[in-house]
Parts: sequence; C-alpha cells; structure tokens
Amino acid sequence: MSKRLDMKGIGKSFFATRALDNVNFSCVSGEVHALVGLNGAGKSTLMKVLGGIYSADEGGIEVNGSKVSIDTPADAEAAGISMIHQELSLISELTVAGNIFLGRELKRGNTPFLDKREMARRVREQLDRFGLDLDPNRPVRELNSGEKQIVEIIRSLMSDSWLIVMDEPTSALSEEDKDRLFEFIRRMKAEGIAIVYISHHMPEIFAIAEHVTVMRDGKIVLSDRTDDTTEDAVIHSMTGRELEAFEKPHKQISGEPLLSVQNLSKPGVYKDVSLDVRPGEIVVLTGLRGCGAPELAKAVFGLDPDCNGTIKYQGQTVEPGRGPAVAVREGMGLVTENRDKNGILPPLSVRDNIALPYIDKAVRGGILDGAHIEKVVTKAIADTSTKTSSPDQEIRFLSGGNKQKICFSRWLDEDLKLLILLEPTRGIDVHAKADIYRIIEDLAERGVGILILSYEIDEVVMLADRVITMYHGKSVSEYSYPGFDKDRMLADMSGAQQAG
Amino acid sequence: MMTSTAPLSAGAPRKSLDSLTLRYLVLVGLIVIASVGFSIANDNFFSLANIGILLRSIAVLFLLSMGMTFIMLTGGIDLSVGSNVAFSGGVGVITLTATGSAPLGFIAALLAGMLIGFVNGVFIGRLKLSAFMVTLATFALARGLALVIYDANSINVSNPVFLWLGGVSWGNMPVVIPFVGLVFAGLSVLLYRTSFGRDVYAAGANVKTAFVLGRRPERTLVWIYVLSGFLAGLSAIITVGRVSSGQPWAGLYLEFDAITAVILGGTSLFGGRGKLLGTILGVLLYGIIINGLVLTGTNPYLQSLIKGMILLGVVLLDTYTQRGKTA
Repeated sequence: MSKRLDMKGIGKSFFATRALDNVNFSCVSGEVHALVGLNGAGKSTLMKVLGGIYSADEGGIEVNGSKVSIDTPADAEAAGISMIHQELSLISELTVAGNIFLGRELKRGNTPFLDKREMARRVREQLDRFGLDLDPNRPVRELNSGEKQIVEIIRSLMSDSWLIVMDEPTSALSEEDKDRLFEFIRRMKAEGIAIVYISHHMPEIFAIAEHVTVMRDGKIVLSDRTDDTTEDAVIHSMTGRELEAFEKPHKQISGEPLLSVQNLSKPGVYKDVSLDVRPGEIVVLTGLRGCGAPELAKAVFGLDPDCNGTIKYQGQTVEPGRGPAVAVREGMGLVTENRDKNGILPPLSVRDNIALPYIDKAVRGGILDGAHIEKVVTKAIADTSTKTSSPDQEIRFLSGGNKQKICFSRWLDEDLKLLILLEPTRGIDVHAKADIYRIIEDLAERGVGILILSYEIDEVVMLADRVITMYHGKSVSEYSYPGFDKDRMLADMSGAQQAG
Repeated sequence: MMTSTAPLSAGAPRKSLDSLTLRYLVLVGLIVIASVGFSIANDNFFSLANIGILLRSIAVLFLLSMGMTFIMLTGGIDLSVGSNVAFSGGVGVITLTATGSAPLGFIAALLAGMLIGFVNGVFIGRLKLSAFMVTLATFALARGLALVIYDANSINVSNPVFLWLGGVSWGNMPVVIPFVGLVFAGLSVLLYRTSFGRDVYAAGANVKTAFVLGRRPERTLVWIYVLSGFLAGLSAIITVGRVSSGQPWAGLYLEFDAITAVILGGTSLFGGRGKLLGTILGVLLYGIIINGLVLTGTNPYLQSLIKGMILLGVVLLDTYTQRGKTA
C-alpha cells in the first residue's frame, strides 16, 4: 500500500524572521526526496515542524489526504515519521538488539526477565530483509558510525515508521559505509519506505533521489524530478540572487608568505594540502562539514603531532605538534569553533578571560602589573564594542555574540601576526557578525595574516582575499578576489564534476 | 562617539554585593555566633589562653587548607596531605637525630613533603589521572612510608631550634600564628599578583581553553601539588614542635578537615572560583566548632558524626548554588 505525505502552505516565524513562508512539500512511499539549501535556508525548521519539535504558524500536514496534527515528537512517531539525527542517540554499552528494543523490551511470558534471544531473532530478521550483515548481539560501542546509523534506521523501521528523515547522513561515513547505506536506502525504497534526504552532496542526490527540492530564505525555489533537472540548476537556485555589492577595502598584498603550508597530510582527514598566507591577507578555507579544513587549521596552530608535510612560519619550519604555548609565543592566535567547550573560562571575569594569553607580557619583576592589564582589557573591550557592564562581570552572563567578541579581543595586541579563526560567526546574531567582520578587516589592514575556516558561502566571498575549496580532505581549487564564483565553489565542495 | 553601554566605573549602579562577599559576611557572622555560644556554655572559651590554644591547634589546618585552596581552584583534590605530614615529619626528625642539625632537618622535611606532592602532580598533571584516585593512593603510600621509617614508634625531639616554630609562644600568642599570617600574605601575592595565580584559576575554569590560549595547565597542576606538599612539610615541622616528638600517626584526618574548611570558605568544588580569605574564615569557623565541642565536653564519638554532617551540608550548599549559576 502506498502512502503519501503532504505539507501544505507551512509558515513559521521567529520574532521578526520569516523562517518558513508558504512551503509545500510532499513525499511518496518508495521514493527518496532530497531537500537542499544553504545554512539558514529553512530545511531544518521545516523538518522540525514535521517532527513535532516546532509547531507551524500556518498550514497543515496530511497523510494520505487526511489531516494529522503533529504537535509533539510522539505525535510524529505515531504518524510513522522518524528522524535520524546527525548526533546519534544510541547507548554504547547496550547491544544492537538492546538499543533497538530500548523502552519496549520483550519479556519471557509474564516474568520480568528479558527475552534476549527473541529480541535478537527479530532484529536479525529485519537485518536479513535489507541484506545487512550485522550481529544483533554486538555492543554498539564496537560499531563504526555507518553501522550505528543502520541501527538507528532499523529501530525506526521496527517501530512501524514509513517515512524516514535523514539529515546529512553521509557526513561522517567512509566510502565503504556510504555504498552500504545507499544499498540499504534502495532496499527501503523497494519496501515502500519514503525518505527525506537532506544533503549538500550533488552526486549523492542525483544517484539516489527521485525528487529534489531546493529551499532558500524560507521558500521553495525549485522542486523537480531529478531526471528533469541538473546539478547546475540546483546549485544556482541554492545561491539565488547576487549578494548586495559589498566593497572590500582595497588592499595591496605583497611580500613573503607569513605562513606556507606544503603538502600537509593526515591519513583519513586531509591530503596534500598546500596554502600560503601573506601578511594582511585573509585566506578562507571552505567546504562541507567533514572536509578536513578545521583539522588542517588546528594543525597549523601546532595542535596535531600526527600530520606529515611542511609548515613554514615566518620563513622557519615549525614542529607539527609543538603545542599552543609555542604557537602563541610565535605570534599566532586561535579562535575555536566551540566557544563553550574550549573558548571561554566560564566562572572567570571578562578581564581574566581577555588577559589570559597576555599575562606573561604584563609581568614586572615577577608581579603582574594590574594597571597595565586594565589598560589592555579596556582597550580590547572598546575596540571590539563588546557589551559588558564591567570587566569584573563573569563571562558566562554575556550573550553568544559578546562571548565571541571576547574570544577575538584576546588577540588584539601588537604581537599578533597570524590569526586562525574557526567558524568565526557560528551561532551569533547579525549585528555581532557585522562587528566581527569589521574586526577581521581591521586586523588584516594592520598586516595580520588571517586564516579562516567558514562553512557559510556568503561569508566566505565577503571576507576573503583568497578562497580554497576543499572536498574530502583535498583542496579542489583556489580563487582570488575578485574572481569569486559562488556556484563553482559550491560545486567544488559538493564534489560535482568540473565543467571544463 | 556615543555608546549605549553603561559607563565602566563611577556612576554605574553596582550590584549590591557579589556572592563571595556575601558568603564571607555570613561566615564572619557565624564565627561570632559560634564564639558567643561556646563562651556561654563554657567560661574558659573566651580566655586569652584558650584563644592561643585554639589558634595553635588550627595553625597546621590553616597551612594545609591554603594549599588545598589552590588545588580545589583547579578542580582537583589532595587526599594525601595528612599522611604527608606524618611522612615528611618523620624524614625531618630522622635527619635531625642523625645529623644534629636543625636546618638540615627542616630542609629534609620540606623536600620530603614536596616529593610526595611532585608524585601527585606528575600523575595528575602530566599523565592526566584522576586527582581523587592518585591522592587516595599516595594517602596510603605516604602513611605506609611514615610507619616504615618510624618503625611505628614515635621519636622524641629536644632540639630547641627545631621545636621553636611549633612550640614557642610570646605571652599567649604562639609564634606560629604570625608565621601563618606571613604564609597567607605570600600565598596571596602568588595567587592574585602573579601569572602563576592566573593560571591556577584558568586551569580550574576550563583546562581546554587554558591550553589552546597557549598556557601550560599541565605544568601548573604539577606545581600546585608540589606547593601543597611543601605546605605539608611546613605543617610537619609545626606538628613536631607542638608535641616535641615525631609520630607516625601525625596528621590523621587532616585532609578531611582541610577539604571541609575550604568548601566552607566558599571555594567551589568545580574549580575556578574562590579566595584564600574565605579559606581563612572557613578554618576559623570550623576550628571554633571543633574546639568548642571539646571544651563543652561533647562525647568524642559524636565529633566525627558532627564533622561528617558539616561536610555534607557545605557540599550540598556549594553544589546547589553552583548549579543555579551555571544553569
């Protein structure tokens, strides 16, 4: 029996932002429907409406033509809709079967004892049905990420789901696991399961999806059979209109490279990447998540002893695993991608957070010069227009944008030569973003070399003097300002074949 | 240029009191209440002689608790300090009897204390093992070493130089009290006015951040355990001076008392938050309660029960107030 889901006229606003605007989206059992769009285009909001995490302001959801109301994740499950999350939600100490039957374990008759044999048998039956080779009695901790994903999908199928939403399912998978996942998806299609497949990877989409829908700014901009459209058309509709003319300050970049990376490799992460950063130049690495760029940037900062190749800094070859203490002394700075994990010192004051990398320079005769630190901190707060009631304020009370500015303001003293930024505007609002772009441009103007990792294409072309696109750990091509072509960059990072 | 932010200093309405200041005021209040209460129960409590005895009896606790403050600021713990007092005392006393030289005895005691601290520091800082487990091991190890070198017997000490610090009083004022004051001043400079002190707070606030900002938290950790061991060595010298003998069971349960006093003084169990002043107040309050229980003739068996309840109470308080803050 064939099933069909229709989301009709879905609208959703967050305060003044129109996240979804009259979106119509359908899927049919036995088909894969690919959903693509840039970050913030509304894909995940739409899927959260479908999964009962958000409720829509307008519109409705129908299954087989009759209206269903999905207000909670439990409603979604009851309607047969399952989400497979990027961050997997399995318990590593339990077995495959134990995870699949978690919360609805089978008992032996009326006893409280688990019927492990029967649970394993039923799981094996499902695995056989899809031609998967996996032992139900293995503990999940022994599985790789591809196998874990399979366990999650089987769990959904065994709770009678007929529609499965997969969000970037291949981002953490090896080639071999990918092939197995695609085979699994084909078998699910044959069994009449409907799949919503969120991805940026063009080859994958055109290999397994029947239908592709592109979202941009909360609207559907393209929805077509994959047979009737092309990779180029999809990529072009993702980026859409040209960006408003943003005038990058004109710079003359010359001189010897400050940083020169040659054939840097780390097995399974990145391979033979070379790049140069000159003083005052902003070089942006971009790609999809899992492209290896953040690991590469961290290796430059001396955080990874296990990479091969040469890193030259100020004309000298530097040790790969020399550690941040040495890198900072050499005039490098790093803003990490996860403020809360390793960017801030939560119980300490704004002052201590800003001054920490600087304190060795503020020591006079073994004792810290408080007045000097105060001057540096006050200037750093002013230069970054950070909003804080006083330098004594504990940093954890600040907003995300202000925390991020503090992560920048640590490095503003004159000894900085190379600043490495990982996702510098992740999770912050537009105003803080604008401030951060200004800080980056100011630093570059002062002659600081800047190496950025960014996943946001608009940010990439706005900031960069040079862009290096990466795909699966390899650098694809290099673009110099003003010769940026967003469509080609997106094609590079999604692994599409180069047209000429 | 106009700014929308409040001016940074004058004129801005200050938040009434920060939580640590409030905590210290409460502690001072409790110290007053406890003193008044015990002096009503026992006339001797407020005599100058008793205050001298009280302060001398908690002098060692002051030193160990200040070391423990550094350690708990990094989110660690040092269970070995009590055993270390016995071990480093033994090394000092044996060196003294063998050489007859008090300075050599002092040096030997301090080095022995620092050695145990260094072992803790290397396992915790460099090899990244759990502070609780490592110091639980050295807690047993140092006590065992003390019993071995003493051959389980105490050794009497009569050298007046060696006994001076722990044994001599000026009138009712034991010399050890101004000495504790000096150590407090020195450690305050170390904690608040040097880059080492900032590294202690940073290591406790977020060790990963401290690392990527180019600090060396692993080294900082080694040094704070060495510092704690050094203070255990000093405490051993004072303990020997107080009782005129070296004893293999010296310092029993002192780690418990120090941990309780530090948490009582407002230093967070989770690292990064706390001050030495709070620890001083915590030791005073804790010392007064314990001393008062003795003076009022409370059943000694009950004292351990009361200590346990105090620790449970302050841990509960700390955890709940910290949870409220980080949520």
